[in-house]
Amino acid sequence: MVPVKEPIDEWIERHEKEPDVVAKEKADRFLKAVELKAPDRVPVAGVGGDFLCTYTGITWHDLSYNLDKIPPAVSKFLHDFPSDWGIVFAPMMLEGFIFALAFADFPDFANLIRFLTGPVHDILKDKWSQWPGREIPETYHPQFRGGEFMNPDEYKKLIENPVEFVHNTILPRACPGLGKPGSSQWNGAWIRVGITLQRILEFLISMGGITAKAGVPSFPMTNAYTPADVIGDFLRHPTGAMLDMRRYPDDFKAACEALIDPILKISTSVPPIPPATFFFIPLHLNEMLSPKMYNEFYWPYLKKVITSLVDKGYKGFIFFEGDHSPHVDTILELPKGWGIAWFERPKNFLKVWEKLKGHTTVMGGVSPALIAGGTPEKIEEYIKDLLNQIKPEGGFILSLGVNELPKDTPPANVRAYINAVLKYGIY
Amino acid sequence: MARLTLSILKIYIVFTKNSSWGTRMSLSEEFIKAIVDLDEAKAVELARKRLETEDPVNVLDDLRKAAEVIGEKYEKGEFFIADLVMAGEILKTVSDMAREKLRALGKAREVIGKFLIGTVEGDIHDIGKNIVITMAEAAGFEVIDLGVDIPPQKFVEAIKQHNPDIVGMSGLLTLAIESMKRTVDSIKEAGLRDKVKIIIGGGRVDQYACEYIGADAWTNDASQGVKIMLSWVKEKKG
Repeated sequence: MVPVKEPIDEWIERHEKEPDVVAKEKADRFLKAVELKAPDRVPVAGVGGDFLCTYTGITWHDLSYNLDKIPPAVSKFLHDFPSDWGIVFAPMMLEGFIFALAFADFPDFANLIRFLTGPVHDILKDKWSQWPGREIPETYHPQFRGGEFMNPDEYKKLIENPVEFVHNTILPRACPGLGKPGSSQWNGAWIRVGITLQRILEFLISMGGITAKAGVPSFPMTNAYTPADVIGDFLRHPTGAMLDMRRYPDDFKAACEALIDPILKISTSVPPIPPATFFFIPLHLNEMLSPKMYNEFYWPYLKKVITSLVDKGYKGFIFFEGDHSPHVDTILELPKGWGIAWFERPKNFLKVWEKLKGHTTVMGGVSPALIAGGTPEKIEEYIKDLLNQIKPEGGFILSLGVNELPKDTPPANVRAYINAVLKYGIY
Repeated sequence: MARLTLSILKIYIVFTKNSSWGTRMSLSEEFIKAIVDLDEAKAVELARKRLETEDPVNVLDDLRKAAEVIGEKYEKGEFFIADLVMAGEILKTVSDMAREKLRALGKAREVIGKFLIGTVEGDIHDIGKNIVITMAEAAGFEVIDLGVDIPPQKFVEAIKQHNPDIVGMSGLLTLAIESMKRTVDSIKEAGLRDKVKIIIGGGRVDQYACEYIGADAWTNDASQGVKIMLSWVKEKKG
């Protein structure tokens, strides 16, 4: 029996034959969606996670440390599961925005040091993260642990000079590999970090070349962060941050205000290049806060970061972790067409879409659990139905809530996910 | 006449503004209200005051009542995780005060069941676990907290050592599902599965995960979880 050729097979063939044309189509499609218009077809975002490891035989340890093993695995994966948008972050695996803050006055590398990598972790021995083949098994995804590295009575120092406080006080506490500021160990460690980052930068440039040849377009990206998440993720632990909002509300707000400028310095170290330079912000505390707390401690400062960057010509790309439904209305306070809102698991995705369509580019809509545990038929049915309700309006990017699939996800399900968008996503 | 009505209204406002006057709340009600309002300073102060004269068991009972109201508010969407974290702090502080007093009096509170909990291997998230612990303690459970990143064997050893009625497994990461399954399998292999009820919790668990893992129940909501646990101990006692 001759296997039936599905749209995904035809798309894979076109990637092989005319990668340049395919890449241009993808870039146009994505940009149209960002401009809130209807492209030729709904863009589909790629997948990854443990599934990438099982499918290609690579481990998280390899993705974190063995740079030469990354290109063949990623190339195979991108070939077999093509998408309109996807970020290959490896080996930049975990949040490390605190390091960008410590060096906010160095635009030449503040953005590069923003993500934590395994090799840099080996030098700094930071307590924020754990790495496969080091603290955790080689097959585990690198883990962000966070922690409490600042006392509530230190808010005053943070407010006074956030960059200096992070560099001089927080880094020595959280990174035993650095030793005392100014010591030989301290200086030597940073030289090593510099050499390592240079190696990683060269790798990323060469990886970009490889993926471009495989029909993957790329857009310049920069980074930003929510001030309250800097406090929760790196300084006080989320629990501490949530308690501080009640116990030391004025300090907390003043610290958020003080963090805005250094955050913007880091973001603007990459200039806004047309047609679009995105600033990426993953939100963390958002889901845990009541609307009252969100509107008092979180949103005003995040909004200032977003609007400042949009005014300067950047486009936002924000990951709204968890169920952001209680706070969705605040997004309408941003200027129309400000960027992409990627939702992880809002209680009712269509409700969110109805609220934001025509104002914000909405991304998401598919639960990773459906792809991991469903059948190809169920997946196709779900996506067909979802797209029927969303089209003909533009400004939509179909994606998993979070682009990480568990290791046992059947490859046929991932194909069904992409295939369904190719079949039912045409405007 | 209008003037008289106005002054009556004023008096009425004065009374309702100060709730302890307006509704003539008892100290116990005022205490529960302070906790539910998440007024940490007031709740701790009232607890101190009550523990000077009252049986600590009364205070612990009120903690249970307050925890129930807090749980309901979370279920209704009126409370969020940040509220539960604050509530947890208050419950823990007051509960420690009351228990210390109990010990000083040479008494102990009646334990309704023993609950062993930990975040499973490979996962270090503990916000949800800690909320469950305070809620379960407030409900009257004796809680053994194993901590985070707990390998299956440690769960097995702890079950042998503490003989709990219920085992709780917590986790947020996708890989936690696999760890939970391995933990349940280890409990089965050790021949202990029939001795305990197992409940799993975390942002990403659902019925599908529960069946795959072989747990008895699942929840994304601490107070819902405690309700399930209460029904189990009730069932056990017949």
